[in-house]
Amino acid sequence: MELDVKFMIETFFQALSGIPVTLSITAVALIISTPVAFFMAVSKIYNIKIIKQLVSAYVSFIRGTPVVLQILIIYSLLPSLFNSIAKGIGWNINVFDINPIIYAYIVFSINTCAGLSEIFRSALLTVNKGQLEAALSIGMSAVQAYVRIIIPQALVTAIPNICNLTINLIKGTSLAFMMTVKDITAIAKIAASYGYNYIEAYLDILFIYIILCSLIQLLFSMLEKRFGSYKTLAGTTAGTK
Amino acid sequence: MRPFSPLYIPKVFFELLTSFPVTVLMLVGSVIFGSLLGFVLARAKISGGKISKILADAYIGVMRCTPPIVLLFIVYYGLPELLLSTAGIDINNVNKGVFVLVTYTLLYGATISEIMRSAYESVDKGQWEAAVSIGLSPFQAFYRIMLPQATAVALPNFCNLLINLMKDGALAFTIGLVDIMGRGSLIISRNFGAYALETYIALALIYWCLTLVIEKTFSVLEKSLLRGKRSLTE
Repeated sequence: MELDVKFMIETFFQALSGIPVTLSITAVALIISTPVAFFMAVSKIYNIKIIKQLVSAYVSFIRGTPVVLQILIIYSLLPSLFNSIAKGIGWNINVFDINPIIYAYIVFSINTCAGLSEIFRSALLTVNKGQLEAALSIGMSAVQAYVRIIIPQALVTAIPNICNLTINLIKGTSLAFMMTVKDITAIAKIAASYGYNYIEAYLDILFIYIILCSLIQLLFSMLEKRFGSYKTLAGTTAGTK
Repeated sequence: MRPFSPLYIPKVFFELLTSFPVTVLMLVGSVIFGSLLGFVLARAKISGGKISKILADAYIGVMRCTPPIVLLFIVYYGLPELLLSTAGIDINNVNKGVFVLVTYTLLYGATISEIMRSAYESVDKGQWEAAVSIGLSPFQAFYRIMLPQATAVALPNFCNLLINLMKDGALAFTIGLVDIMGRGSLIISRNFGAYALETYIALALIYWCLTLVIEKTFSVLEKSLLRGKRSLTE
């Protein structure tokens, strides 16, 4: 088996141009789903009646179906839905001009919401209830108590899980080529199809993902140290006493 | 836009189920081979030498960063050429299921090894020492004392793994394996692209049901395995 090294190096740098697309899908999905997931988590914790059941069903459905299938469903449903809505309102836009990355944003946001809401819920539950009561008793409003006391503590336990979720999300975006989004996978695949150099192209993709994920893991381990600093500080002072 | 026809969903549901055994076979096969690989990796990390530890760590790190579809294609395009050039074996006409099995074994062996290792390390070392001190052989101590406790700890993670494996397994249709996903895309192309949404919804329902069944099974298992533990603490 001989690898076409020259092609491999060329394609590697070509495929690097797909990184912004991959990262933008990841970032948009995380940014959109963070507030939504937070409210889903809170509504589940506080047992708000109908919303809780809806959220549970939604999470269970997203958890129980493959991402490919979600992509295919959204991609076969949304364009025609947009089209009929646009026609109904009287807008004159061509749905097929919409950048397919919009659909990628939607699919991965829907997907991330479910995972993130469970992470937030489990993280919020780890914070002692006394913390909230103490915050309220010294005159903070509920919002202040959450922003200043509860969330910073919950974040520390949530960060490893968020790291996992982000890595899975980045890996998942390799499927965006099914929606004709030109991310890393799509670019390398197109380059490979000229000369049938698929192995080289896929090894390139593999290298890029390994680098990307290692960087993300590094970033999160730094974040974890930063947010968890109060814990280690408390630990060392207790130790020296 | 063609109107959505919900009546097509139950019709296609049963047709999709004819390929259900393939999906289950891939799932079970990957779990069995993945567990073997995972056991080797976990052993290397727990009681191996320095080099084997580093190798296992590197392998797990790489697999953690690999998107399933990329590995699937690397195996599908690369394995036949690798075997042909090194060992002279031609596997180009082998069933596509083999490639799927190899891919998910490689991918999930790493995850399984981490689950096994964390479960093994969660059991108190004193248990092992106590077992050996009353005259059990090391194998007996592992098999009778450590394993049952570690299994109970590993179950929730293993349930998650099984569900993820099943979901990632849905990608096998991209190399042409006819599992339920593959059957679905065949049905859609048979209909010239019509009823795509209905077929996908039927597929989603099958996967959802399968997930719920797996979750239920594991929660029952967990309860029965943790029974002994509760009576100890009470």
